[in-house]
Amino acid sequence: MKNPYLPLPMRLVKHFVETEDNLIHTFTLEFLKEEDEKSFRYLPGQFAEVCVFGVGEAPFGIASSPTEPGHLKFSVARVGVVTTALHQLPEGTILGVRGPLGNSYPIEEFKGKNVVIIGGGFAFTTLRSLVTYILHPQNRGDFGKVTVIYGARNPGLLLYKEELAAWEKRTDIELVTTIDRPVEGWSGRVGFVPAVTKEVAPSAENAYAVVCGPPIMIKFTLPVLEELGFPPERIIMSLENRMKCGIGMCGRCNVGNKYVCKDGPVFTRAQLNQLPNEY
Amino acid sequence: MSVRDFLLTREGLHSWLSRLARDYPLIAPVEEEKGVITFKQVGGPQEIVFDCAPSTLPPKEWFLPSTEELFAFSTAGGGITLQEPPGPKERVLFGLHPCDVRALLALDPVFGGTYPDPYYLGRRKATIIVALSCTKPGPYCFCPAVGGDPVVAAGADLLLTESGSSFAVKAMTSRGEEIIQRYPGHFAPDEEGRGERARQELAGQLAGMFAFLPDLRGVKEFLDGHFELPYWEEVASRCLGCGICTYTCPTCHCFDIFDQSWDGARGLRARCWDSCMFSQFTRMAGGHNPRPTQKERVRNRFLHKLKYHQDRYGLGGCVGCGRCVAKCPVNIDIRRIIGDLKELASHG
Repeated sequence: MKNPYLPLPMRLVKHFVETEDNLIHTFTLEFLKEEDEKSFRYLPGQFAEVCVFGVGEAPFGIASSPTEPGHLKFSVARVGVVTTALHQLPEGTILGVRGPLGNSYPIEEFKGKNVVIIGGGFAFTTLRSLVTYILHPQNRGDFGKVTVIYGARNPGLLLYKEELAAWEKRTDIELVTTIDRPVEGWSGRVGFVPAVTKEVAPSAENAYAVVCGPPIMIKFTLPVLEELGFPPERIIMSLENRMKCGIGMCGRCNVGNKYVCKDGPVFTRAQLNQLPNEY
Repeated sequence: MSVRDFLLTREGLHSWLSRLARDYPLIAPVEEEKGVITFKQVGGPQEIVFDCAPSTLPPKEWFLPSTEELFAFSTAGGGITLQEPPGPKERVLFGLHPCDVRALLALDPVFGGTYPDPYYLGRRKATIIVALSCTKPGPYCFCPAVGGDPVVAAGADLLLTESGSSFAVKAMTSRGEEIIQRYPGHFAPDEEGRGERARQELAGQLAGMFAFLPDLRGVKEFLDGHFELPYWEEVASRCLGCGICTYTCPTCHCFDIFDQSWDGARGLRARCWDSCMFSQFTRMAGGHNPRPTQKERVRNRFLHKLKYHQDRYGLGGCVGCGRCVAKCPVNIDIRRIIGDLKELASHG
C-alpha cells in the first residue's frame, strides 16, 4: 500500500523573489528520484502539499505546467509558519512534496473551445500553469481563442513578468494586464479586473471562463461574466480552504458535503451554487 | 454448513479471555478511575468491565490514536530519510458494543477511499473484534433511532450475548470462526438455536428501556433543503466550543498534522485529533475563516452527523451512543436537536 503521507524528496533549485513587495516568492523544485518525477503526473489546477521538514507542510497550487518536465514551481505568499520558513530557505535545501492532489481544470472540456482566463493578484499561479499548458506547441491547436485578463494593484505586484512580456508578443493569445491606479511607464490598462473584463467583453460563445483571484474580485467579476452570457456551468473557479491531509480525511476543508481537497479545488459556478457559502 | 453459533459458560468465557490475553494483546473496557471506562490492554478477565453501558470514551483510539507518528525524518548526509513506524501486531478488541462496531464501519470508507490510509487500515486489519450485546442501555443511548440495534453487530468477528448463566456466541466472519477453532474445549455448538432466541428475547426487553428515541425520519431531507436556519444560532448561543462532543464521538475523525523537531535535522511528523468546534480549525493563514462563529461550527458538526456523512458514504454519521449528550457541559443534546429539526420540518 502506498503511503499518501510520505512526501517525495525534492531539491529547491531556484528561489526567486516574485513581487516587489517581497511577499511572493517562487520556488522551483527538482525531484531527487527519477521514478518520482515519472510518477508525478499532474494537470493544471491541481495542488500539492509542500513541506519544510521540521516545520510542517502547506498546500499550494502547482504553478508549473506538465509541459515543463523535470521540475515543479510554486509561488508562495508569506503569511504563516510554513510559508515564512519557506521564504528563508537557501537554494539547495531538500523539501518534501505530496501530490499531485485534487482535481484539475477541465482541460478536456476546454478542447475546441475559447478559453477566457481571468486572474487577480497572486492567485495567478495555477492560471500560469493553465496558460503555459495551452500555449505549448503540442496543445495549442486543441483550443480556440485564448484571452487572459490579469490585474494587480501595481506593476510590481504582477507575477511572472517575463512570461507576461513573452505572451504579449504572441499572436495566439490575447493578454490584457491591468493595474488599479495609473503609474508612469505603464502601457497596460488601468482599472479593476471586473471593469476591465466588461471593457474587453470576451464573447461567451463556445467559451469557458476560468476565474481566480481575491474574493472581492470574484464577487464583482461573476456578474460581469453572467452579463456577457457565460452560463454557470462554464464558469470555472478554484477554492482555497484550510487543509492538512489533502486527501479527504482530516475534515477541515469541507464546504457542505464536498471536500475542497478531494472533490475540488476546481468547481464550476453551477456546482458552487449548490453548496453553502463556507469558503 | 458450518456451525456459526456457540455457547460459552461464564467460566468458559473467563478462561478463554485469559488465554486470549496470553496469546494476543487483549484490549477491553476497564474502569480507569471511578466512573471512567476506557479501552485498555488487559492482563486478564478480572480487569474487564462487562457491564453494559457505553464506555466513557469510544475504542476509536485503537484505530486512530489521539496522537500518532506518521514518520520520522532525518536529513543526515545531505539527503532525506523517512522512516515509517512499525505496523501493529495482531490483537483482540473485546467488549465493543454494537454502536461502536457500527462507528468503525462508518469510519472505514473515510480512511479506505481513493487514498487508503495505511495507519488506520493497518490497525483495522490487525484487530479481531469481539462485540458484546448490550444488556441495558445507558441513560443517553438512542441507537435504535439512528438505525442501530443493541444486539446486532455486523462488522464484528464475533458477537457475544449474555443469556442467563452463559453467553451465546455468534461467529460473524471466517476470522471469527477461526478464533473459535483455535480454542477448542471452550465453545459448545449451539444446535438448538438458543443464541438466536436469547438475542431476540434481549432485543424485546431492551426495546422499552431507551429514555428518549427521537424520530429521524425526514430530518435529512429537511436539512438537504435548509442550510440557513435561525435555529443554529439558538444552539450555538449555548455552545462553549470545548470540543468534548468530538472527543467522545466514535465517528469524529478530524485531525491535525504537525512536525516536531529539536534541531531541524531530525524529527517526526505526527497527527493528532482536532475538532471542528475550534475556531482555528478552518482559519486560514491569511486570517480568513469560512466558519467564523460558533453558529457555523455547530451547524457543521450536526450536518456532518445527520447529512454530510450520509451524502458521502451512504452511512449515518451518528450511531446513537449518546456520549456527546452525556459529556456536553451545557446539555446540547443531539436527540433533542433531531427532535427540534423534525418539528421545524413539520412546520415547513
